[in-house]
Amino acid sequence: MNTPASMHDRAAQPRTAFPAAPALGDVLPPMRVRTGVAGFAYRYPTMAIGLVLLALMLLIAIFAPYLGTVDPTALAPAKRTREPSAEFWFGSDAFGRDVYSRVLYGARVSLAVGFAVAILASLIGLLIGTVSGFVRALDGVVMRVMDGLMSIPPILLAIALMALTRASVQNVILAITIAEIPRVARLVRGVVLSLREQPYVDAAIAAGTSTPVIILRHILPNTIAPLTVQATYICGSAMIIESILSFIGAGTPPIIPSWGNIMADGRTLWQVKPYIIVFPAIFLSMTVLAVNLLGDGLRDALDPRMAKRV
Amino acid sequence: MLGYLLRRVLSTIPVMALVALFVFSLLYIAPGDPAAVIAGEQASPEDVEKIRAALGLDRPFLVRFSEWSLAVLSSDLGISMFTGMPVTELIAQRIEPTLSLMVVTITLSVLLAVPIGVIAARKVDSWWDRTFMAFAVLGFSVPVFVVGYLLAYWFALELDWFPVQGYTPIAKGFWPWLQNLILPSIALGFVYIALIARITRATMLEVLSQDYVRTARAKGVAEGPILYLHALKNAAVPIVTVIGIGVALLIGGAVVTESVFAIPGLGRLTIDAIVRRDYPMIQGIVLMFSFVYVLVNLAVDLVYVVLDPRIRY
Repeated sequence: MNTPASMHDRAAQPRTAFPAAPALGDVLPPMRVRTGVAGFAYRYPTMAIGLVLLALMLLIAIFAPYLGTVDPTALAPAKRTREPSAEFWFGSDAFGRDVYSRVLYGARVSLAVGFAVAILASLIGLLIGTVSGFVRALDGVVMRVMDGLMSIPPILLAIALMALTRASVQNVILAITIAEIPRVARLVRGVVLSLREQPYVDAAIAAGTSTPVIILRHILPNTIAPLTVQATYICGSAMIIESILSFIGAGTPPIIPSWGNIMADGRTLWQVKPYIIVFPAIFLSMTVLAVNLLGDGLRDALDPRMAKRV
Repeated sequence: MLGYLLRRVLSTIPVMALVALFVFSLLYIAPGDPAAVIAGEQASPEDVEKIRAALGLDRPFLVRFSEWSLAVLSSDLGISMFTGMPVTELIAQRIEPTLSLMVVTITLSVLLAVPIGVIAARKVDSWWDRTFMAFAVLGFSVPVFVVGYLLAYWFALELDWFPVQGYTPIAKGFWPWLQNLILPSIALGFVYIALIARITRATMLEVLSQDYVRTARAKGVAEGPILYLHALKNAAVPIVTVIGIGVALLIGGAVVTESVFAIPGLGRLTIDAIVRRDYPMIQGIVLMFSFVYVLVNLAVDLVYVVLDPRIRY
């Protein structure tokens, strides 16, 4: 910021004589190389905030049993719908279950679904996109199928798939994965199509490199950056879809405390006992926010050209 | 131009056929035997077989699919397993609230989001810009029902500015109708506004750095006309695209919003259908929403031609 302004001032001065070249230290601001954690946080503030929040949620999910929680499914009808207190930090729900314990254990479901969907959808999408980008004969068919899948709004597709199967965390993961795959496949195909026109790929072909090696050595490494960014966004959206599915009763089985389920339990009481919904809502929003900030940070860091655009 | 329009319209047919195939397969592989359900618990295996043959359920997949497709084309989506009424009729009964919610949400969102994006781009890196964009990130992170309960609790229960829940048909007057829809629309539109505002800001930033904007400034055109006439017009194509794509978010979100605000629309119908495992109903709703989505995006593509006459495909 400093440099162009001061150079501009110099240029605006009437030129009486050629001034001696300024010492580099005058023109450039003093270089201070920050290293380590502080340097990372200074250069990528959004990513740092996202990572810290996400790490916090991960720790909560892992150490849920040791954070002053009780059995999240233990019923205590005599102590139902208590306001937040020393005994029930976040209050208790209509069955007397401890909302604090349920919210902490709920982090496990959300994070597991988010990460599993992000990884699965990225891998399958990468496979489909690469094949589609390289095998001309399959491209048309595969992409039409993806177009068809993309024409069904993702939440609706996940709802329809869940209606077919038993409610379980695995099935939730599968349903959301299927709904997210087409977007990844399209992205990867686009990247592959532009990469295979690159001169270095032509060179590799001319040198007699086999197609699998070209894909492995020259194409795949270049899809990693956009794919990582996309995976973080998918992780966030998967967590939201899981909570929506559970909230409307088509997701995680009600016996498992997930944030969507806790909110579904609090739905009938929200006008008088809003805290049953408020606490899982805050945790869910913070977690998705963390993932989205991480995604925004990654995007800006991995592709500086994109940083200015969206 | 006419060729482009025609080709674009025709290109939706294979997509819709694929969607229909998916949706039909969904019912085909659904667990539970409709013949057994209809026959009842007392029926003998022979009775079930008879009903199966009468319903044509014993015939091959492709035969059933083509028959079903023909029925769909004449707007027959089958019979709801739970209520015994035609799916089309049930959908028609519930369409007004959902359509109203969508129309109000889209109108409100576009009216809010586009100016937000323009201001953020005009004052890039200012506090306005940062605040708006922080809200946009929040919009992507806070699920629709959380926003819904927050708004309902604060503006309806505490402040009593709007009705808490429910829906008033437009036949009973415009104002009562709108009053009931404002909170649900803001809740539903939250992520949509974020999406549109972000893309508006991004494209406006690009357009505002163009030479013709500098020329307009140099010849003394006021800032308002530059932003809204010169720049926005040229930034319109990506914005309209996102408005179309975002409808998918609205359709998914409407299911939840209607549940939060007790609006008796298609979303409630969907949830009831899931709870009762009413497969023909689920099939009909998914098919209808997907067709609407495809048609909205077709409309968007056709609008391109009006927005940007240079477009030739």
